[in-house]
Amino acid sequence: MSAEPARRVVSLVPNVTEMLFAVGAGSQVVGVSSYDDFPPETKALPHVGALLDPDTERIFSLRPDLVIAYGSQTELENRFARASIRVYSYRHAGVDNVLQTIRDVARLTGHEAEGDRVVRDLRSQLDAIRTRVRGQPRPRTMLVLGRDAGALRGVYTSGGIGFLHELLDIAGGDDVFGDIKRESVQPSSETMIVRAPQVIIEVHSGDPPRADVLQRERASWNALASVPAIRNNRVHLLYGSYLMAAGPRLGHAAETLARVLHPEMFR
Amino acid sequence: MLRADNVSFGYEGGFSLRDATVVVSPGSLTGLLGPNGCGKTTLLKLLCGVLRPQAGRVLLGDRAVESMTRRGLARRVAVVPQETHPAFDYSVLEMVLMGRHPHLGAFQLEGPADLEIARASLEATGTAHLAARNYMTLSGGEKQRVIIASALAQATEFLLLDEPTASLDLGYQLEVAALLARLNRERKVTMVLATHDLNLAASLCDRLVVMRDGRVLAQGATTDVLTGDMVRQLYDVDADVAFHPRAGHLTVVPVRRLA
Amino acid sequence: MIRARLIWIVLGYGGLAAGACLLAPLVGSTHISLARAFDRSIPFADNVDAQIFFVARMPRVLTGAIVGSTLAAAGVVMQALLGNPLATPFTLGVSTGAALGAVLAITFGSSLAVSALASVPLASLAGAVVASAIVYVLATRPGRPISTMVLLLAGVTLNAFFSALILFVQYAADFTQAYRTIRWLMGDLDVGGFEPIVAALPMVLVALGLFAFLPRSLNLLSVGADVASTRGVDVGRTQRLAFLSASLATAAAVSLAGPIGFVGIVVPHLVRLMVGVDHRIVLPASALFGAAFLVGCDLIARTVLAPVEVPVGVVTAMLGGPFFLWLLVRKS
Repeated sequence: MSAEPARRVVSLVPNVTEMLFAVGAGSQVVGVSSYDDFPPETKALPHVGALLDPDTERIFSLRPDLVIAYGSQTELENRFARASIRVYSYRHAGVDNVLQTIRDVARLTGHEAEGDRVVRDLRSQLDAIRTRVRGQPRPRTMLVLGRDAGALRGVYTSGGIGFLHELLDIAGGDDVFGDIKRESVQPSSETMIVRAPQVIIEVHSGDPPRADVLQRERASWNALASVPAIRNNRVHLLYGSYLMAAGPRLGHAAETLARVLHPEMFR
Repeated sequence: MLRADNVSFGYEGGFSLRDATVVVSPGSLTGLLGPNGCGKTTLLKLLCGVLRPQAGRVLLGDRAVESMTRRGLARRVAVVPQETHPAFDYSVLEMVLMGRHPHLGAFQLEGPADLEIARASLEATGTAHLAARNYMTLSGGEKQRVIIASALAQATEFLLLDEPTASLDLGYQLEVAALLARLNRERKVTMVLATHDLNLAASLCDRLVVMRDGRVLAQGATTDVLTGDMVRQLYDVDADVAFHPRAGHLTVVPVRRLA
Repeated sequence: MIRARLIWIVLGYGGLAAGACLLAPLVGSTHISLARAFDRSIPFADNVDAQIFFVARMPRVLTGAIVGSTLAAAGVVMQALLGNPLATPFTLGVSTGAALGAVLAITFGSSLAVSALASVPLASLAGAVVASAIVYVLATRPGRPISTMVLLLAGVTLNAFFSALILFVQYAADFTQAYRTIRWLMGDLDVGGFEPIVAALPMVLVALGLFAFLPRSLNLLSVGADVASTRGVDVGRTQRLAFLSASLATAAAVSLAGPIGFVGIVVPHLVRLMVGVDHRIVLPASALFGAAFLVGCDLIARTVLAPVEVPVGVVTAMLGGPFFLWLLVRKS
């Protein structure tokens, strides 16, 4: 493996693209995925597809010396390996994995020092949040990752594994499905009643909708009016791409969760 | 009286029936005779209202068949098709009871009277012992007799049959023919049957309508119409047509194909 | 005689359906006590047993009964209309249309300003209606009976075309949306309250009401269209009524709970094995047995791998597959 820093990077993984820009390697990025929109500079860059539909021709035409791909895209990796293009294989995991990835891509692009700095800052940000909520009662929280619009169907939540679950933990909440130990869970109405969360947090990666739509979405939970979170009006609908980006903005995401769970600690 | 006045009917390709006029008098047993494609099935379907003529009219008494409701028509004209393939395993009794449909109200179930008529029809066709059997498991002859029973249960003045013996063995052919003759005689059911079987027509029908290429060549008493000349005209075949003393009716013996 | 048989069978199957609906809410992955659930002295907010019984399980059982009866009855009608015991409510494209509607709502719903279109049930209903309308227009000629061959071809064509569109939309979807589509396709009786049920009920009742006019005509029709005509059946009208009512029933069921397969074919077959083939008995019996059947399948779905829930469409498929294998072996 050559020790030369990569000069032309194509990234198929949006959160890793963010990391590249955060460690100062933004000018070395020549191609991004179709789903990239942060930071704003990425909008002007060529979009080359993503997990299911990477445009290999387009990628080759950009003459990269490093491609960031998903760990499951083994076909793609073989193709690039045959063309002697370095591939960095990314897999979703927890917070530590995110921090390690920041370090890895910083090293690969010759920004080791900045990479270390970004990681240090994130760690201290997370530590600060941990400290602030220490000792507070940890509410049983259901972290909802998706739900059919306008209805209480197709609900899927964190299942006790993954970086969002870890952020919730750092922010001082107890994942109500933490014992299941899966990436996600699709609870039925019965399961949600039985688990009786005290707080429900929905995370959405887009922009907040119009006020009336927001109201309707909040009202979708009223069918389970007897669940403590709904009864006590502790249902929070959070919007923002930073919430689900496992990258440099995860400190911001953790803080948002902490403010929702323990508002009194942030006055 | 059931009559077709100058009826014509055609499909995409051309006319299958042109300017046909046929008179069926009450109590008669009329045969529509001719080679395949001569239009006899089309004529039969026009007579029972399944098809509408593109020219001419079909009259039942003094009413146009077109103007009658399906139910009204079904109470006066019943049809025995050439083949019947039910999609489900109906029993013989269920098949025969279907003939009672035009006599029942929208949500009415068959009553004792209907069941009695059905049983009588089965008796008349010698199939009463098959009532509980699955129709699809019967032999060809038994099936045909059950379908005739079903048409009888409809209690109509007219009975139209399309090639009633075409798929039957010789024994069953004679059986069905005898049954039809008896029903015509005893119950006074007016019958019209389409067939290409010359000897069946000769043995069973008192009147014949001979057809070829969509046109009626002749109609009248069987003894008048069924001649060697007519067979030649219909089939390009040289045949002997003569009264057979033992059989008691005309028979047709084909001798040779003509060029 | 037929009246007596009809009454006894309806009572018997009705009892089965009622029994299933009464017992099913009692059973589940969490043990609840009926006495506690009905104990009025405990405030509802504190009575978890009552919450589970009334909020989580009852709507689900009710949905199962409605969807099960509707799909089973639609299956009977479809089989008679096409003259083929292998036909299902989905043969003529209604559920593929619904699936296209659902996929479009899931994939593009969030980017649409009109919030109503983002609703999966409404979009799938619209898709189902569009698909049925296309098949209807393709296969019918005014005043003439429908050729079942043409009808079948139109349905198959529509299924193929819409399936291709679904794949295309799926390709454009992101990972989450693709997953949610797959989840929808497996069927889900947990509709989240009584509102969706109330919304679907008018369509279901109209469809079932229309079904009531069909049975005797379907008997005659399934012996042959021409023969039925000569026995006084208005074949064209019967076919149109059968197609429209079965499509309405299927559209309502699929937009409520997703396309749950095998109910519409296993139940009619099972019922015919038990009561014969007279549609006047098969149709109501199938509706009642279908309700019990789907409620039972959902019970299995909720409990067999508790606390994980198996999608109910998977359970019906796992039961349906071997059933047909057995039928095949029996016939040969």
